[in-house]
Amino acid sequence: MAGKILEIKDLKKRFSSDFLLDIKSLSINENEIFTLIGPNGSGKSTLIYLINLLMPADSGKIFFENEDILARKIDKPAVRKKMGVVFQEPLLFNTSVYNNLVMGLKLRSGNVEKYKNNLDFLIKKLRLKELLGRSPKTLSGGEKQKVSLARALLLNPRILLLDEPLANIDQATKDEFSETFFKILKEKGTTTLYITHDRNEAMAISDNIGVIDSGKIEQTGPREEVFRKPINEKVAKFVGVETLVSGIVVNSVNGVLEIKINDIKIFAVGKRDLNEKITISIRPEDVMLLSDVSEPEKLSTLNIFKGITTEIKDMGMFKKVEIDCGFALVAYITETSAKKFNLKKGSQIYAAIKATSVHLF
Amino acid sequence: MELIFNGIKQAFILIFTGDKEVWEIVFLTIKVSGIATIISMLLGIPVGFFTGLNQFHGKKILVSFINTGMGLPPVAAGLMVALLLWRSGPLGFMAIMYTPTAMVIAQILIATPLIAGITMAAVAQVNPKLKLMAVSLGAGRLSMSWLLFKEAKLPALSAIIAGFGGVISEVGAVMMVGGNIKGSTRVLTTSTVQMVRMGEIELAIAMVLILLFLTFLVNFILTIIQQQDKEKWQVKYWK
Repeated sequence: MAGKILEIKDLKKRFSSDFLLDIKSLSINENEIFTLIGPNGSGKSTLIYLINLLMPADSGKIFFENEDILARKIDKPAVRKKMGVVFQEPLLFNTSVYNNLVMGLKLRSGNVEKYKNNLDFLIKKLRLKELLGRSPKTLSGGEKQKVSLARALLLNPRILLLDEPLANIDQATKDEFSETFFKILKEKGTTTLYITHDRNEAMAISDNIGVIDSGKIEQTGPREEVFRKPINEKVAKFVGVETLVSGIVVNSVNGVLEIKINDIKIFAVGKRDLNEKITISIRPEDVMLLSDVSEPEKLSTLNIFKGITTEIKDMGMFKKVEIDCGFALVAYITETSAKKFNLKKGSQIYAAIKATSVHLF
Repeated sequence: MELIFNGIKQAFILIFTGDKEVWEIVFLTIKVSGIATIISMLLGIPVGFFTGLNQFHGKKILVSFINTGMGLPPVAAGLMVALLLWRSGPLGFMAIMYTPTAMVIAQILIATPLIAGITMAAVAQVNPKLKLMAVSLGAGRLSMSWLLFKEAKLPALSAIIAGFGGVISEVGAVMMVGGNIKGSTRVLTTSTVQMVRMGEIELAIAMVLILLFLTFLVNFILTIIQQQDKEKWQVKYWK
């Protein structure tokens, strides 16, 4: 496994508005895409500013390639020259697209020829050739950001810091462009700290994920782990877990817990004390809907609930179904399944959830 | 109406017959206001750029001084320079009172705050995040300043337009420190005042028309430069 390229310890930055960024520990491995997700105002962008030394920290340490870059005697421009940054707003200068592309190269080494192959590669991959002679003022938002991203990638940075660069781009352009862009990142093995509030995007592109809220890192880990096993309600809500219910452990047999929620019993896998109050979370994609359970013994699922659909929302690629089965349960199903079941508001339905898909915290 | 018409006719006669006195006045006007504008640019642009770009102790005081200077009445500027250059004044030993040099100094006092103030406003309009972007891309203090200067250069041209316009049309200060001496310190504005006093209205109109034409010409050139907003560049790129 590749080593850590960036490690943050006890980093603090206070703002006058009482907001405190307080990161106890965070590390990013070489060649990985680490995505930091969190709501607006949670401190994601501040972290980028601190890592790129564009803002002083109050205390703490940031080790970049094993060197504490917050140390007093550090050569800040030299550190910045190893990094590439793209902000949410495409920040292009009033000169040609080509000059914008090579601006970082000129400022850093003055040698554009040396990067010719990389420049050719990016121009081809990101289809920038037709834009080279144009003024940024004549480009669309998506085109501008494409140039910003290419400018940063051209520098072959040791770490690429991306502060929600796709947030202001329309969905169609974003879909088309992000696939190409992240493919390039993977191909080049560029270590990336990617900041976004789009959890679906995070799930699609990340190796590891961190969830930040109110200036504090709530959880970090491999994407599957963060999405499947959120450690608290905040993380669960942010990673898209829509069913969160409180209950009491009433029985435990061979690692299978029986949890009482109102008058319902739900089975989950885990270790908890009897009578312990817990919260369970169920991801909507882990809920299977059934029209009939006349032979439940044929199912391995321990949890089967009868319920009534209270809401059906079209989410584009799928439908979000809200079910009242003694507690509020959310499930995702495809359009085809919804038609097959003739699912409507008020329909009777069965929901099956494996005990291993019920997460506890 | 006839008076105006004759004035216009007289202006063309004076210009195209190469009246020596008129051309001397025109050249001195261009020389004094041109030199004053160039020196004011050299002083005002760096001050405006530095003030607009940076946060420092005393910035509010400096900005207040610049803003006050922008509204400085020309007669007050003239009086200040006159008091300094008067024979018994602190700079009296230089013996430059009633010379074009004194007029240039008075005009610098008028134009510098105008140029500094408008440059400051132009720089303040540049997206502050561009500064961060430049630093992040690897720009040092000097290259970052140069990049941002290039961003602000077009709006900053308004500063030069305002500075030149302010001094070429000014009469109070140059009259006070120049004295409107024929063949030595007489410029278009002071000459116009003189002609009106002498009842030579046609000549006064001619002088004003020449002054207007000069002002228009300089502003037209500067405006063309300012409005040049390239949409396409010729790019040298490896095929």
